[in-house]
Amino acid sequence: MANDLLAPLEAKDVGYTYSGATSTDALEGLSLKVADGEFVAVLGPVGCGKTTLLRIFAGFLRPTKGSVHCAGAPIDGPGWQKGYVLQEETIFPWMTVRENIEFGLLAKGLLPPARRAVCDELLGLIGLSAFEEAYPKELSAGMSKMVEVARVLANDPSILLLDEPFGALDSQTRARMQDALARLWEQRRKTVLFVTHDAEEALYLADRIVVLTQRPGRIKAQFAVQIPRPRSFETRFSPGFLALKRQVLEAAAA
Amino acid sequence: MPAIRVRRAVVALVALAAVYGIAAEIGRERLPNRVWLGAHYVENVQLLPTLRSLAEEGAFLIESEILPSSIAVSVRRVLIGLVLGSLVGIFLGLATGWAVRLEYLADPWVTLFRFTPALALLPLYVIWFGYGETPKILLIASGVAVVTLLGAHQGVRSVPRAYLDAAASLGAGPSLAFRKIVLPFALPHIIASVRIAVGLAWVTIVVAELIDARMPSLGYLLALSGAYPRVPTMLIGIATVGLLVLGFDTLTLLLHARVTRWMRRTA
Repeated sequence: MANDLLAPLEAKDVGYTYSGATSTDALEGLSLKVADGEFVAVLGPVGCGKTTLLRIFAGFLRPTKGSVHCAGAPIDGPGWQKGYVLQEETIFPWMTVRENIEFGLLAKGLLPPARRAVCDELLGLIGLSAFEEAYPKELSAGMSKMVEVARVLANDPSILLLDEPFGALDSQTRARMQDALARLWEQRRKTVLFVTHDAEEALYLADRIVVLTQRPGRIKAQFAVQIPRPRSFETRFSPGFLALKRQVLEAAAA
Repeated sequence: MPAIRVRRAVVALVALAAVYGIAAEIGRERLPNRVWLGAHYVENVQLLPTLRSLAEEGAFLIESEILPSSIAVSVRRVLIGLVLGSLVGIFLGLATGWAVRLEYLADPWVTLFRFTPALALLPLYVIWFGYGETPKILLIASGVAVVTLLGAHQGVRSVPRAYLDAAASLGAGPSLAFRKIVLPFALPHIIASVRIAVGLAWVTIVVAELIDARMPSLGYLLALSGAYPRVPTMLIGIATVGLLVLGFDTLTLLLHARVTRWMRRTA
């Protein structure tokens, strides 16, 4: 199928070994294909190679075995087409919120009025218009993460790679951020690869959940999440959601 | 912050003057007024000049233009040396921090010079560049360059990898990443190293001027007042140097505060 060839993200039999005093196999024989506009969550325990997989897709690591492709072309480096939100806090603290969001557009060479228009829209979307001239020091952790997501979205990439973006947040903020991300995704329909160790988060956000094994990470199980959107607070307690959550948790624990 | 600093400095100076004034009045009758200078006694030496004689001496030094011209000469040397040394040091520090290959090239030189006091170069510089302004300015510049090189290098090296990855993922090339990520991050480190360099520059110039005491300058004034000896001149010279270093230090602190606005909550 032509569609297969142009899968936005595809990993074929990918393995990755960190060399060093003790070489570590992070990934082994992992094949994964993400369809256009699909929201895939990668679920796995700490240290299972989730971040390694994402960094390979983002272009920062080359697989030591196998190959990775983006829309049919081999991935050979980072770029704005693959919007990547790191696990660490990477909002630039010396730039205002506006300068942070406009950074990618500056890199593209857009003129200030064009940058402004895109930024204004995103600020509205994440509800931080009042903070446009604030420095990150004045934002909460959740707000900072949302600015990082908006900064990536400003480039309008077709792919989003999100590495436990809400991992460091408390559960209430986390739920709010998940709602915000779900809203953004429903409006913008990106292809998303979302790494998390939280089964509920994966269920709430994704179309498909890929469960990884312990290190070296490979695919242990996959689940299609056929829960209607838009999902809400109620969704988290619906029988379908809870039943699937049980299956996913069982698969993860097995 | 600067306002508080200035107020504190003023309070400290007034308190110091008061304590000194009392000590000098007590000591006027009790202290000996002659000192043994190795080969002979010198008479009529005020070991602790009173505030009054200090004021008279200060007025004389200012009216005769000895003090203003000395300040001008020393400040000029420090400023030129600082600017020259900082430009070279910061440029090399940024370059070696950013390009790993350059680091290997620069490393032996940096290791050699960071443990060599700049003042040790004075005799060599006098032989190479003669007496006058050049060796002194270059002496300051040498010390300043090493300190600022290390500061800039360290600043570049401490940029978190995640910031550079995020920038690359947002489509920034090396030049934009350098200007918008590396430079702003390294700037506070650089200014902090300039602040250290300011202290070093003043130590260097005062000692250099003491040793090679020819032209009117603050070091020359101190050397001369030691030769007579003339304690009021000495004290005024010491206080002048102290105040100048305080002033320079405050300026770099202001600069530091300016470039780290983003670190504080109130924007």
